Amino acid sequence: MSAATMSRQPGFANSSIGRALRSSWGARVTSYFAFVVAWQIVGASFFRVPTPWETLDFIWREVSGGDHGGVRPGQFWEHFSATVPRFAIGISVAFVIGVVVGLLIGSFSFVRALLSDVLLVFLALPAIIWAFLTVMWFGLGWEAPVYTVILSAAPFVAVNVAQGVRAVSPELRRMSDAFGVPRNRRIRSMLLPAITGYLFTGLRFAVIIGWNAVLLAEWFGAVDGVGWRARLWYDAARYKGFVGWAIIFIVFIFLLDGLVLSPLQRRAFRWRASPSSDLKAEVGAVDTESFTNTAIGL
Amino acid sequence: MATLQIEKLTKTFPPHSKDGRPVRAIQDISFAMSGQVFVSLVGPSGCGKSTLLNIVSGVDSPSTGTVTVTQDGKKARLGYVFQDSRLLPWRTVMQNMLYVSDLPEEEGRANASKYLEMVGLGHAHDMYPGQLSGGMQQRVGIARAFSVSPDLLLMDEPFSHLDAITARSLREELQVMWNATKKTVLFVTHDVMEAVQLSNRIITLAHGGTVFDDTTIELPFPRKASDPEFAAQQAEILGRFETMELERTAAKG
Repeated sequence: MSAATMSRQPGFANSSIGRALRSSWGARVTSYFAFVVAWQIVGASFFRVPTPWETLDFIWREVSGGDHGGVRPGQFWEHFSATVPRFAIGISVAFVIGVVVGLLIGSFSFVRALLSDVLLVFLALPAIIWAFLTVMWFGLGWEAPVYTVILSAAPFVAVNVAQGVRAVSPELRRMSDAFGVPRNRRIRSMLLPAITGYLFTGLRFAVIIGWNAVLLAEWFGAVDGVGWRARLWYDAARYKGFVGWAIIFIVFIFLLDGLVLSPLQRRAFRWRASPSSDLKAEVGAVDTESFTNTAIGL
Repeated sequence: MATLQIEKLTKTFPPHSKDGRPVRAIQDISFAMSGQVFVSLVGPSGCGKSTLLNIVSGVDSPSTGTVTVTQDGKKARLGYVFQDSRLLPWRTVMQNMLYVSDLPEEEGRANASKYLEMVGLGHAHDMYPGQLSGGMQQRVGIARAFSVSPDLLLMDEPFSHLDAITARSLREELQVMWNATKKTVLFVTHDVMEAVQLSNRIITLAHGGTVFDDTTIELPFPRKASDPEFAAQQAEILGRFETMELERTAAKG
């Protein structure tokens, strides 16, 4: 067999498995697999690190209400259903405040001068400071987590929206001026769609910061909720319980991003879909004759 | 019929830096136009053509002098075609048309459809600008400007960003459209051939923002660049341009 013939034979790299592994999907699966293997090795080597299997077993018992080795039954849904409304209310209020403040800062130089340093202070303050402060102000209960989420997340929405407003194309503004487009229509059809990208960036930041904030506030200042539950396992020095809850927090953010934020973003940006060459060709095929005929029929 | 009256118009921009001088874009320009005319403003880059159009549209304000645009004694409705299409990329073609419309929804749709048909885009209502070629986008821009039933239509080098073939095709389409509607048009260009093809009057601006020449073009429509009379007219205007440049060089010493 000649060398040329041999070189055409499919090797592993060119096989369907090889191609799949080199795809972005394959790269992602490989990274998960490598992480689990590394975790298993570390977990098997150090007793203070639970293995993936021990952690999964814990999560299953916590979610299904199963027994944790005679300690106490799993209470995932009880605590999860306490936390989610706090998080949802906090993020919703933070979003509304952030959008309003961002629009004002982006639109008016006076408001920008007035609030930009204040915004910087809010951005610089870590969520844990707000968690301590709100617990001191409101005591143990639902208020501290909700206010911590609002105070931590709103500045990230505001700063992104403000940046978006300032980035709105001056050409589109001038076009709107030249045609005398009414203010409400400009906000609805020009400004808000123009800042959508910034809005989603702000919202993503807000969700991550807000989720951290609600966990911290519940850790220190609640008598239920997922943060409180994670602390319970931490205080009991149950490693698999603590790591199990950390995994649940991460999975929640992944699911929220994948099932809610990403589809919303795709929907908002459907106009960016790559141009269809068929459609372009179809419209490009319009000739002067058809134009002339319709024009004369005016 | 729309009347545009410009009297002793001057526009000075503030200096770019602390030590700089104010920049005078337009200097003491006066002219008037009225009725079913297609007037082109021609001149070299930086002579104040676009600034003048911005002032006429109300986007910018004059430093001194007055600009009045009236229709039967009332404030005239303006339409604007820009150098680029300036469509909202996140809105469909129809939504872009409705964005500038002041008609009720249904009436606005019917009106927009009529003008989209005129520019050959009757079947592109639901497409986004990103799905259209540059020429198609500019067609939408032209349809949008005509759709507001402007008393005065302002066009700022609308074909300068297009390739030569598309620009030629759109110029021919614009001739047809203008002959069908007979709107009052103020058209800015630096292309003398384009001005001769489309206009019945050409105002030439000189460097420094002054009126150098004001010529009426009597050629019948449709005009073809291959027509000898067209070529002669174009040569005459270009000759005046050369005179202008020579005078400028001489003045510089």
